[in-house]
Amino acid sequence: MTVLLKAWSVYVRMTARWPAVATIVPFLPLLAVWWITVELALFPRVFLPGPVEVIQAFGSLTYKGILPDYLQDSVMRLLVGAAWGIALGIPLGILIGTSAWAHKALWPLLLFFQAIGDIAWLPILVIWFGYGLVTMTFIIVYTVIFPIVLNTVLGVRSIPVTMHRAAQSLGAGPLRVLLEVVLPGALPNIVTGLRNGLGYGWRALIASEIIVGTSGIGFLMFDARRAGSVVEILLGMIILGLLWSIVDGWILAPIERATGQRWGLVAR
Amino acid sequence: MLFLRTWSTTLTFFTPFAVLLVLWAVLVPLLDVNPRLFPQLGAVLQAGIDGISDGTLVQHIGASLLRVSVGTALAVVVAIPLGIAMGVSPTLSSFLTPPLRFFSVLAGIAWIPIATLWFGYGFGAITFVIFNAVFFIVTYNTLLGVATIPPVVRHAAASLGAGPRTMLLEVLLPGALPNIVTGVRTGLGFAWRGLIAAEMIATDKGLGYMLFVARDFYRTEVIVLGMIVIGALWLMLDRLALAPLERVTIERWGMVRPA
Repeated sequence: MTVLLKAWSVYVRMTARWPAVATIVPFLPLLAVWWITVELALFPRVFLPGPVEVIQAFGSLTYKGILPDYLQDSVMRLLVGAAWGIALGIPLGILIGTSAWAHKALWPLLLFFQAIGDIAWLPILVIWFGYGLVTMTFIIVYTVIFPIVLNTVLGVRSIPVTMHRAAQSLGAGPLRVLLEVVLPGALPNIVTGLRNGLGYGWRALIASEIIVGTSGIGFLMFDARRAGSVVEILLGMIILGLLWSIVDGWILAPIERATGQRWGLVAR
Repeated sequence: MLFLRTWSTTLTFFTPFAVLLVLWAVLVPLLDVNPRLFPQLGAVLQAGIDGISDGTLVQHIGASLLRVSVGTALAVVVAIPLGIAMGVSPTLSSFLTPPLRFFSVLAGIAWIPIATLWFGYGFGAITFVIFNAVFFIVTYNTLLGVATIPPVVRHAAASLGAGPRTMLLEVLLPGALPNIVTGVRTGLGFAWRGLIAAEMIATDKGLGYMLFVARDFYRTEVIVLGMIVIGALWLMLDRLALAPLERVTIERWGMVRPA
């Protein structure tokens, strides 16, 4: 008992000093359970390979250069899709947020087309554009854009009308109101939308790679499925989870926090 | 008055759709679009009527809805007790948060390859995918909900003599409910997408399958019909059931924090 308590206190002190420890250590028991289940041979090894095999697969796929290539493909697709999503989504969101007319005309359509969902577009996109980059980019843009637009609208509408009036009475033209009131005021929401959108976009990318892909992590998993190689599927899942945890936890969440602190309308 | 107001908001809500439909009905024949690329409005309506009268459309919808409800119900039933049990202890919940977040990232679609390998193509694999999409997100949100109940409230209940049962039913569950409902809504959103994707790969019935097969024969009218059905179903589920439920629970049990 005392040993356990000692270990726990060491752990607590370490997490206080290096917060990263607290995100890594909880996975160790999980790994242990996985390992033990495999060693006990509760399931056939073909169905559930152990951590060692997965690491070996990681090693060999990296060595062959397949994994880095696929990873690069997936990430590039997501980046291109996200860039288009931002470029189209923010102006559209500001338009709908500022104009009552645009809101009336476009808001219901937006809700409906969001509800159709990315994946349902795949079959018709394949007919239009064939298997390939255009189809996948379309899917990602489609997925990313809705959270961005909806959140931008929310952000623009949450700016108190006094801010507009104050800026205008101080002599700001429409352009300056846009650049110095609307855009900064909506920025925290825009970033939140971007974060949600990328989360959905990431999943949509995997789905489209599984169904129509010729490369990428999703394709790796589906190819492995065809060959019946659970090791590579598990490897793909772990990479997906890790990659997104890193991108979300270390890049997107801090950006969201920072913009929230800098431009958020939080009364101090 | 109230009736009139809701009636006019309904009207403004549906006007854009009417405009879109008119554009569709006029432009597609006018521009002479190849029906293998994009269908005419009439063809889609015809496909809908055919699907209803010969029962195939109803069957596909039924199969999809059944899978979603079974998977979601199973996941919610398991996830809520688990989330509450883990959320009660702050140490345990902070310890388990990273793995849970990791698995909720994988929610849904990423499980399709391994699910089809473990369960074979069919009902099992798809239900498993939906279960995973809902389970981890609801567990995570329940845990979060329990963890955010102010200790004061729990202490107050305990010092007024609440036993474990009362504590669970009158403090922990109601306190976590707003988060639970939000979790269910998010999880279902992922599950619905995962369902469509899984049905394209792993089955011979359901809306996703209907779309994917129609693609093989360039039957765009069936594809577009399927997309409209998918969108309308989700919109109804989300706007008429989930969003009001979320609003009501937050109003009733949400912690409105004094500034």
